[in-house]
Formats: sequence, C-alpha cells, structure tokens
Amino acid sequence: MAQIPNLDNSPLNLTALREQSQKDLLNIVKSIRGKKCLVIDPKLAGTLSLILQTSVLKEYGAELRILSADPLQTECPKVVYLVRSQPNYMKFVANQIKSDEPKGLQREYFLYFVPRRIVACEKILEEEKVHQKLTIGEYPLYLVPLDEDVLSFELDYSLQECLIEGDTSSVWHVAKAIHKLEFAFGVIPNIRAKGVASSKAAELLNNMQLEDPVNMDNMGMPEIDTLILLDREVDMVTPMCSQLTYEGLLDEMLEIHNGTVEVDSSIMGAQQDGKKVKVPLNSSDKLYKEIRDLNLHVVVQVVRQKATSIQQDYAEVKSTNTQSVSELKDFVKRLHSLPEIARHVNLAQHLQSFAAKPSFHARVEIEQIILEVENYEMCFEYIEDIIQKQEPIETVLRLLVLFSLTNAGLPKKNFDYLRREILHSYGFEHMSLLYNLEKAGLVKRQESRSNWVGISRALQLIVDIKDPEKPDDISYIFSGYAPLSIRLVQHAVRSGWRSIEELLKLLPGPHLDLKRGASSISSSSEVLPGSVGQQSTDRVGHRSLVLVVFIGGVTSAEIAALRFLSAQEGMGYDFLVATTKVITGNTLLRPIIASSKEGMI
Amino acid sequence: MSSSVSVAAEWDLLSDRFYRRITIYSPLPWSSPATTTASSSGGGSGAGRLDLSTHIVAAAPFGGPIAAVRDDSKIVQLHSEPSRRRLLLFSSSGHPLASSPWTPHLPRLHSLAFSSSLNLLALLSDGSLLRFRLPDLKPIPSSSPVPLLPPTSGGVADAVFWGGGVAILTEDNRVVVTADIEVDDPHPRELADPGVGEDEQVLCMAVVEPQFVMSGSPEVLLAVGDRVVAVDEDGVQVLGEALEIGPVQKMAVSPNGKLLAAFAHDGRLLVIPTDFSRIIFEYECDSALPPDQIAWCGLDSVLLYWPEVLLMVGPNGDPVQYNYDEPIMLIPECDGVRILSNSSMEFLHRVPDCTTSIFGIGSMSPAALLYDARDHYDKQSAKAYDNYQLISSSLPEAIEACIDAAGYEFDVSRQHALLNAATYGIPFCSQFPQGRIQEMCKMLRVLNAVRDPEIGMPLTIQQYKLLTATVLVGRLINANQHLLALRISEYLNLNPEVVIMHWACEKIAASTAIPDIVLLEGLLDKLRLCKGISYAAVAAHADNSGRRKLAAMLVDHESQSSKQIPLLLSIDEQDKALQKSIESGDTDLVYLVLFHIWQKVAVEKNAPLDFFGIINARPLARDLFMTYARHSKHEALKDFFLSTGRLQDAAFLLLKESRELERNPVASKGSLHVPQVRLIDQAYRLFAETKEHLFESKSAEEHAKLLRVQHNLEVSTKQAIFVGSSVSDTIKTCIAMGNERAAAKVKSEFKVPDKRWYWLKACALATVGNWDALEAFSKEKRPPGGYKPFVEACIDAGQKTEAVKYILKLTNSAEKSEAYERLGMHEEAKAAALQADNNGDELFSRLKFTLGQNALIDTLRDRFSSQGTY
Repeated sequence: MAQIPNLDNSPLNLTALREQSQKDLLNIVKSIRGKKCLVIDPKLAGTLSLILQTSVLKEYGAELRILSADPLQTECPKVVYLVRSQPNYMKFVANQIKSDEPKGLQREYFLYFVPRRIVACEKILEEEKVHQKLTIGEYPLYLVPLDEDVLSFELDYSLQECLIEGDTSSVWHVAKAIHKLEFAFGVIPNIRAKGVASSKAAELLNNMQLEDPVNMDNMGMPEIDTLILLDREVDMVTPMCSQLTYEGLLDEMLEIHNGTVEVDSSIMGAQQDGKKVKVPLNSSDKLYKEIRDLNLHVVVQVVRQKATSIQQDYAEVKSTNTQSVSELKDFVKRLHSLPEIARHVNLAQHLQSFAAKPSFHARVEIEQIILEVENYEMCFEYIEDIIQKQEPIETVLRLLVLFSLTNAGLPKKNFDYLRREILHSYGFEHMSLLYNLEKAGLVKRQESRSNWVGISRALQLIVDIKDPEKPDDISYIFSGYAPLSIRLVQHAVRSGWRSIEELLKLLPGPHLDLKRGASSISSSSEVLPGSVGQQSTDRVGHRSLVLVVFIGGVTSAEIAALRFLSAQEGMGYDFLVATTKVITGNTLLRPIIASSKEGMI
Repeated sequence: MSSSVSVAAEWDLLSDRFYRRITIYSPLPWSSPATTTASSSGGGSGAGRLDLSTHIVAAAPFGGPIAAVRDDSKIVQLHSEPSRRRLLLFSSSGHPLASSPWTPHLPRLHSLAFSSSLNLLALLSDGSLLRFRLPDLKPIPSSSPVPLLPPTSGGVADAVFWGGGVAILTEDNRVVVTADIEVDDPHPRELADPGVGEDEQVLCMAVVEPQFVMSGSPEVLLAVGDRVVAVDEDGVQVLGEALEIGPVQKMAVSPNGKLLAAFAHDGRLLVIPTDFSRIIFEYECDSALPPDQIAWCGLDSVLLYWPEVLLMVGPNGDPVQYNYDEPIMLIPECDGVRILSNSSMEFLHRVPDCTTSIFGIGSMSPAALLYDARDHYDKQSAKAYDNYQLISSSLPEAIEACIDAAGYEFDVSRQHALLNAATYGIPFCSQFPQGRIQEMCKMLRVLNAVRDPEIGMPLTIQQYKLLTATVLVGRLINANQHLLALRISEYLNLNPEVVIMHWACEKIAASTAIPDIVLLEGLLDKLRLCKGISYAAVAAHADNSGRRKLAAMLVDHESQSSKQIPLLLSIDEQDKALQKSIESGDTDLVYLVLFHIWQKVAVEKNAPLDFFGIINARPLARDLFMTYARHSKHEALKDFFLSTGRLQDAAFLLLKESRELERNPVASKGSLHVPQVRLIDQAYRLFAETKEHLFESKSAEEHAKLLRVQHNLEVSTKQAIFVGSSVSDTIKTCIAMGNERAAAKVKSEFKVPDKRWYWLKACALATVGNWDALEAFSKEKRPPGGYKPFVEACIDAGQKTEAVKYILKLTNSAEKSEAYERLGMHEEAKAAALQADNNGDELFSRLKFTLGQNALIDTLRDRFSSQGTY
C-alpha cells in the first residue's frame, strides 16, 4: 500500500491539486539541466513523500540529500536547495556553500523557497554573503492533501507563532492557500470565522479577492459552499484530552508522520527484530477507513469479527467440496483483505498494550473529572503527584493546561506552588515556558470565575454514552465529551453564528459571518440563513461541501467527529478539513516546550 | 458591367497578372516643422518641401513613419530653409510629427533606418550608431554615438539594415554584423574575412535575414569582381560560379528570404534562389547602367528604378514601365511596394484574385455577377434576380470574394459597394457564416481609422493581419495617438491597460506646469477606466519624473500591497509603508519595510531609538522584529527591551544567554558557573524591578543558588554530574550516591515539600536497590502523601515482593487494585476492585470497557502472525 493517498473519493478534485504540485516540482527539476544534487529540508522531505515518489526525481538526474548543518557530500556540479522559508535553514545553506569554497569547488547553486521567497530569509543569505551565488526561485506549495478529506498547510509552528510570538505569517499563508483553492474551485460564498487568526484570515481572503480577483465567469457554481475557520486557541481543551479513537490513539502513542507510523517490525509480525517499518495509514486502506474513527475497543471487535468470519469460510471450504466456482472466487476475494486485517490486528494489539494500562485509565478518568469541573482537590493532587514523580513534562502540561482552562486559571497560591514544583522537578530552564504559557493564557492565575461549566452545559459537551457501539453523537469520540470545536462547527453549519452569539463571546477572539462572491450568486446565498440544512438536501443528490479550517492544528479525534457528523442521516454536508498540522496534545506542546527552552520564543 | 470597367482600366498587365498603383496620399503636406515652429519665414508651402533628392530618407515598413536629414554631401539651394540641419519625422501621409536639431560636428551620416520596434537608427560614416526614440526623437540611451566598428576599420563603405540589426561593410572590406541593435549595449561581431583581393572591389551587398537562415544568424551576400560570396560567422562560400553571371551591380533579397534579384553588369536582371542553384528567369534590360534602386514587389515581380523610369519585371512577358518626373523612394512591404515621391504616397501591388474576379474586364465569375446584381438591385432593375439565378449554386464563394475584395480596397466607397454586394447575397444563403462580414467590417473600420491622413498609417489588410492589432495599438500609443488606441482597444476587446498606462505616463511627463491635485484628478479619471491597472507603476513614473508628491497620491490608489509598499519606500513614505504593510497582513511585506527602515536608520545617529519608537507602537511590526532579532540580533533586541521598559523580556534574554554559555563551554574551565551565575543574577535584578514578576525573580534567585550549590557539590564529590540538572535530580543523585546529608541540605535550602521528598527519595533508593534503606525510610514516620511513592518505586524497579509490602499499606482500594494489576496479580486486583466498587467508586468503573480485550487479541495475533504481511 502506498504512502501517497488515493484521492479519487474526495469531495473535491484534490487529485488535480496534487498533480499541479507534482508538475511544479518536476518543472523545477527539469529546468536545471544535467546532473544535480537536490537538497531538501528534513520536514519538507516528509511532505513531498505525500506528493510524489522520490524515485521520479531521480529519473531527472537528481541526487537527493537532506539539508543539515554538515557540509554537502556530492559530485554534482549543480546544487538545488529546496527548503521552506525558515531562518535556521538559511544558515545551513550558507554554511554548505561556504564550506565548498576552500575546497575549490565550482558549483552552481539554486535555491527554491517553499512556498515563497521571504525577505527575512534573503537578508540572512545576504549577511552570510552567499546571496550573490544563488539563483533564487519559488516552489509555491501551500497545501498538501493528507487524505481524501484532509488537507495540511504544513505549518508546524503556527500555534506558537500566533499565540505567543505574535507572528501572523501562518495566517497569511492560510488565506493565500484558500485563495489559491478558490482559483480552482470558485469563490466560497459563505465564511464563518471564530478567533483572532481566523477572523484575520477571513479578512485577508477578502482583500486577496479584491487585489487579485478570481474570475467566476466561466466557472459555474462554486464547489465549496461554506468555509468555517477556527482558531485552535478557541478550543485548547480538546487537544489536551487523550484521544480514544483508533487513529487518535495511533497518533498519541506512535505519532503519525506524513500518513505513516513507524513501528518495530516485530510488532507487525515480522521475524527479524529491531528493524523499523513504516506503516501507511490512509483511506486507500478500506479497512482502515472503516475503523480509523472508532473507539479502540470497537475496533478490536470489528477486526475480530472480520477475522473469524474468514476463518469460518476457510473451514467450510476445507471441509466440504461442494462450493461452486463463484463461491470460491468470492472467498478468494475476501482472502485478499487478510493482509489488511493482519496489519490492524497487529497495530490494535500494540495500542492495547498502552491503553490497557491502569495509568492510562487513571489519566482518562482525571481528564473527565477536570472536564466536569468536579473535585478540584483531587485533580490538583493528581497533577502535583505527576510533577513530583517527574513524569514527562508534556504529560504534566497537558493536564495542567486542561485544569487551568476549565477553572479559568488557578488560585495564586496553587499556581505559584505548581510552577515552583515544575521548575524544581524539570529545571529552571523552563521558566520562559511557564511565562509563555501564561502569556498565551494556557496556564494562568485565576482572576475571574470560570465560564467553562456554562459553555459546556449550553453546548452539551458532557454527554452520557448509552451504547458505545452505536454512537448517536460526537461525544462518543472522547467517551462522553463532545469536542467543543466540533460543537461549534455543528452550530455554524446548521444556523450560522447568530444562534450562539452570546456563547461565542465567552470564547477567545472575535467571530465573523461573511457572505460574498460575485453578484450572480448572492441571490441564492441570501436564502441560506436558517434553512441551510433543508436547502442543501433539497437539491437531489447534491451535498454541500464545507471546508473547515483549523489554524493552529486539529486532532485526529476532531476529524473523526466531523466524519461522523457528515455520515449522519439528514446531513446534506460533506466536510473537508484543512489544518496547519494534525496534532496531539503532545505534538502541540512539544515545540512550545523546546522553543521556550532555547529562548526562541 | 459598366461600373467595373473603370476599375480595371487602372490596372497594368504583367504577363497574365494585373498590378495596380493606388494613390494613398496626394498631395503630401511636407511642411517642415522647422519652418512652422521657427515661423520666421513666410510659411509658404513650397518653402518646406521635403525633397527626396537632397535628403537621406528612411521609411518604416507597415505604413510606418518617414525620417529624413538633409544630405550635406549634395549641393543644395537654400531657399528660406534654415541652414542648420534638422532630423525630421513625418507620418506616411507627410504630416510632420517631430523634428530635432541634428548635432553638428558628427561624422557624416551614412544612412537612416527604422528598427522593428520603431526606433530610428542613424549610422554614421565612422561606423558609430545613434538611436532615437519615437515620437519625440529623444536620443536613447544617450546622445553620444555607440561605435559598432573597430577603430582601425576605416569607416563604413556600405550597410544594409533589417528589422533587428545591421550589416556593415567596412572600407577595408570586412563585414561586421550587429544583430541586437535595439539593446542599450549592442554586440557587433565580425564575420569571416570575405577575401576581397587588393585590386578587387565590392560592387554591392545584400543580407539574408537571420529568420531565414538555418543557423539563426544573418548571411551577408557580397558581389566581388565577377563572383558572389556568402559570408557568415564560420566562413565564406563562393556562390553560383557555374551560372557565370558576371559582376553583379545590384542585389535584393525577396521578402521570404528565398530568392535573390541580381542586376548584372551586362544589363541582365536575374532571379536566382539564394543558394544560387539555378537561374529562375532572366530579363535583358535596355540599359546596362545599374538601377538606383531595386526592390521586390511581393514575391512575383522585381522593381528597378532609374531616374524618371520605374520598371516592373515579371517572370514572363514584357515589363511594365512607369514614368516619374521627380525622385522616388521604394518602400518594400510584405505584399507590395510603397512608392514615396515628393508629392505623393502610392502603393503598388498585385491585384488580388478576388478583385480580378469581380472587376476584371468581361469577368462572368459569380462574384462579378453578384456585384452586378447589387448594382441592378439598387437601380431597381429586375436583372438583379436574373444574375442571382445564374450564380445561385456558387453564391457562398461569390459572397466570400466580395467580402475579401472589400478588404483590399483603400477607397471607402468601393469598400461599401463590395460589402453591399455581399450583404445582398447573404439572405439567399442561409449557411453562410454570419460572423464573416462583421469581422471584415471591424477590420476595415480599424484600417480606415488609421489610414486617415491625420494618423497616416496606410496599412493593407494583409499587413494588418501580420502586424496584429496589439502591435498596431502599441504603434499608435508610441505615436501619442492614445485616444484612437483606446477606442480601437475597446472596439476589439483588447485590454486597454497598456494604452491608459502609457497615456498616464506621457501625461505626467507633459504636464510639468499642472499642479499635482489637478493632474491627479485628470489621471484618476482615466485610470479608473481600467480595472486592475497598476497605480503603482504610474506612481513610480511620477516619482521618476520628479513628482514625488503626485506619486504619493497615486500610490494611495494601488490595491496590491505588494506593489504599493516598495514604491512607498522608494518615495520615503516609511510610516505609511509600515502602516499599509501591517494592514496587508503579509508579514513578508512588514519585514521588507522593517529592514528598509532599519538600514536607513542605521546610518543616522541616535538611530535605534527612533526605530524602536516606530515599531513599538505597532504590535505586528514589533513582534516580527522580536522574532527575527532572536535569531541574529541579540544586542539590538536587548536594547529594544530595555529602552521600551520590557524588563522581564530582557531578563529572559539574559537567561537564554546563560544557557548558551552552559552549552558552549569557554576556556575558563572550572569556574564555568561564574559568568553564568552573573547573567542569572542580572536577570534576577531585572525581574525584581517589577511587581508582576515576583515569581520569576524568586526563581532566578533560586536558579543562581542551585548553580552555586551544584558547583560546590561537584567540587566536594569530584564528579561533574550536577550542574545543569534540576533541584529534584540533584537530590536524587545525592541520595543515589549515598550522600544523605547533602540531599537533606538541598531539601532544606530549597524548601522542598515533604511530599516531593518522599517521591524523590523512594525513587532514588529503589534505583540503587537499597531496599533496607527504603524500608527504614518508610518507617521514619507516616508518609505525608501515603505509601504510593514506595509502591511505584518498587514496581518500576520490578521488585514484586518489596512492592507488595507497601501495597498492603495503601488506603485507597482503587490504588491497591491498580498496583496489583501492574504486578500481574489479577486475583488480588479483582478483589481490591470489588472493594472499590462497593465503596461507590464509580469513576473507576466508567472506563473499564477498554480493559480486558487483551486475551482475544492475542489469539488473533497468533493466527495471523505467520502471514507476516501488513
């Protein structure tokens, strides 16, 4: 199975989008004649593996290297750097070029910025005195399909940039990427945004339409009906909770990178130990598509059923000799799904070894208690304990952030105490981390009463699960907690922001409800408010497409919730998710921890 | 058919083909602008006559303008003309467009020519080149000539221009070609030595233009003695020796580059392929005197001009002779030749087949009948219908021919008549494409508009198609005919942006006396006509013309920030640029402005403070600066924090520096912590200056203390394992090393709470396997947080029996159950869990469903593991 997802079932023609990215890249490689060394930054190399087989690049005479601080080892007379516009990479590039000089190497250097050239980066190249030696170009990769319904802007640092640094580059990037989508699929007539970055992105998108309008004359109806933009900041609660869906747990425990997880080959049932294997995870795998969004224990049952039924068939085939050819064929066909079943049996088993631990249960339990804002003392002590035990700092912070958010902060005494315990346990180098978290409002001193309970009641975030096998609400995702972000999307789709305006004011950042597009389509959009659900199902066979954009990241569990929603009866909507990055609580916090420690934020 | 006769009467028959001379403009005004502007003379029309015989003249193809300079090698009778020479520019209709004084003391002018983008080129006899822009004849790039020949060449003997270049034959018989004559800095190349002997003479030269040569570079043909040689960069080739042509006196290459017309010394005119493979035809002229001019008329005939006689020679039959009692100039076009004389502009071309079929004498072609039918119809004669019946089956061709023929006419009434004939046929012919006639009307309207003597571009329809509408619009713009250009653009649905843009720039250049506000209104009026036009480009022009204020006003209207902001910077509107860049949301633009301001400010004194002031008021700019500065401009960042009162940020920066010291150990070994502690102390003091950062100041203080304590520990234990670890880790290390006293000291110095102390000590003792000490520790007193630390320490160390000791002491049943579970003691776990349930601990049971699937999965896994695939 390939790492590059099959996009044929996508609600939007994402294949064309990906092919354009392929073409752009190949054109760059082709435009530089002869043998060349293509140096790619490490993160981008992962991204590109979602776009094309790297072997294709080799066909065009490109030798591949990953950018690092070390000098470049290659025989090629031409060196092509393909790097994202980040200052640290510029220093790498400069170092490599400078290290060629004393060796007397006469090389031609090309630098392609992804997605565009940036003054701040070129400045560094100038200061390092290598700018003159470079031929500079751009590779406008703003958006990559991760799967048939998930797009990624590949902005790992968006959250900390927006929330802590005040650098809104990623907001511009998001707006630009959506604007580019509009050139292919039409101007999106409805926009709903919540949060500082999202509202800004909506505004930028409008400006871009003014500056560089999408011509709708020969396009027909826009393919995307509604754009919903949400800041991660609006709902920091959800990512702090442990995900319980299959995909969510895979990401939490093993970390999914570019649509694959890396595990020991022994886990996947191979004989030789110690080797790592990459397992691709996307909806091209039919079974995975079926089970990725289910609770892990349901996944186990589904996989078991499939396996046993094949086994029964096998037994039948073996015992009786009366099957017709067509029946046999049918059986053989089902046998083909065996590798898929085996793969997920292995992975589920591996996950279970984590998820069955009492400590995991205890943790999920405490999360629930924090969410319900019950038993403050117990929660406080739990957090105190895990700090003193020196559990991984991500684990500690996830709970602490959750605790602080639901309680609108901690009383000063507790706040200072826990902070001191953290510094004593993990080192004083985390001072700026705590300061940054405080600035971002994630862990702070209590100054007012918490409105979390009110929000949670009004939006029915805490729901008792009746039958975990046949869920009827998105709260199944977190075994009784419906993610706030997705509840907001649910409202936004159903009736716009108007119905929950008061509630929105309790959450960070402004909100925005925009109608736009060419005058020709404005008439149809005027009917929309209030009757959205009806109208979209009225048109026979037509399902409206809603693009939900998360600035600052989204978890697999939330994507699962959106898929669940669109699969509900009477929902005339398909969702397409676009995110700066697919995150877990850990991968969200880790860069903040690391950058704070290095003093880079 | 009487009406047609008069038309054909003007035609001349050359073998089986008709040719016609159309008088386009006559008489020509030729009034020299020099006299009108100087106006000192009587202003009589005769006084300003441009006399071809006394001027060096160039005319651009495609109905382009005419340039002239008086030829000072000829004796001229000065009437009332000024004695100083001027460079004159006329339209094809003879209207003066511009003139400028010819710089005196230049080397003699050899020839004038137009480049394909209509710059005027003047080649001087020393081989240097002057170039002038139209329509104002401004020298470009400067008024000093560009040398094309090496200084020793002896000057120009002969030269041939084509659209993009010039080939020069030098006095010392070498050939230099310049193929990029339009660029500011052309690169002349010398071709191979043609090998002209001492006593030989180059009789004439011609050039096969680069687009007709395989190699893409021009090929120069030279007639030397009784041979013709082809010269290019690689070598010289003698052509057609077998043909025995003899000395060639005059040559011309056909418009398609394939044929050569050569006038031999014995009076023969030969037409030869350019590879000299054979003689296609030859004609013996009456005179052996070489003609003054030789030119191709289309591809079918060659024109030879001797004073007063113009001879047109075709492949068969007798030539046609025209007489002129005044000097003329032949201007070859793609489909014929324009003939310029002192009094008129004519166009000589082959009569198109469609025209012959209609107007040919005695023609009974369907088209002729249709044309006639229309005539009858207009006269209300029933014969119209008779004609129609005769041609009904071939009506479409007839209509087609009438439309086409209309296109070839210069005479508007004849265009009308032909189109009328076509429209008469159309109702009878439903399948005839509707668009054809509209298309032709459109083209003719454009052509008639530009042929107007006021404009003076006598384009034929074929020339127009070859030139394209876009280029025509460009030419009109360059002739400052903006209104017509705009109308044509709108009429043909072309983007009017180029026209309006050019107009705006010219307007600015020409309006030095108009106040900014008034000019702005005038400009905006027109710029608004074109959506998406770049105001920034117009503004940039205004700035270049020295009107910075106008530029600032214009750039305000630019909607694209990426164009607007660089311009704002270039006109010193930094504040506005910063403001706009922030509004644009494009952080890259904000950086652009920031770097610009930073660089500008850097050269001034007291600079950083100004810069800090500017950015501090704007959060996005400030934050971006901070982000960037963290990477490479630490000192500036610190200054910024201190000067704007962000003491805590400065303190954090100091902490960062202290950590960097830790990572890059300097030479001063042993006392490493001293500079580090100094930085942390500084940070502490900065934190302490504000109330809000009490926690941070305390922490910094503790941090410094910890480093000192750790340093002392390293000294006393002689082990470099402490510095850089946390308080908790320090305690653990001490305990693990058996140094209880040191651990206790750290505990008290840092006021470590008892609860944490129990976790740390239990863990450290278990790690080193000191179970007795652990037990003793558990019995010291009742642990403040219960026995959990002991249980977990033992489980983590894999000590089941030790663990059970402490599990029994746990008070919480749920915890007990969990601990047993971890040890794999399922029965005990169940029992404890039961107890927990009874205690009403429903929280524990809530998530039980994730438990207990292990066994099932194990069996499945075994079954599939043999497959080994995933």
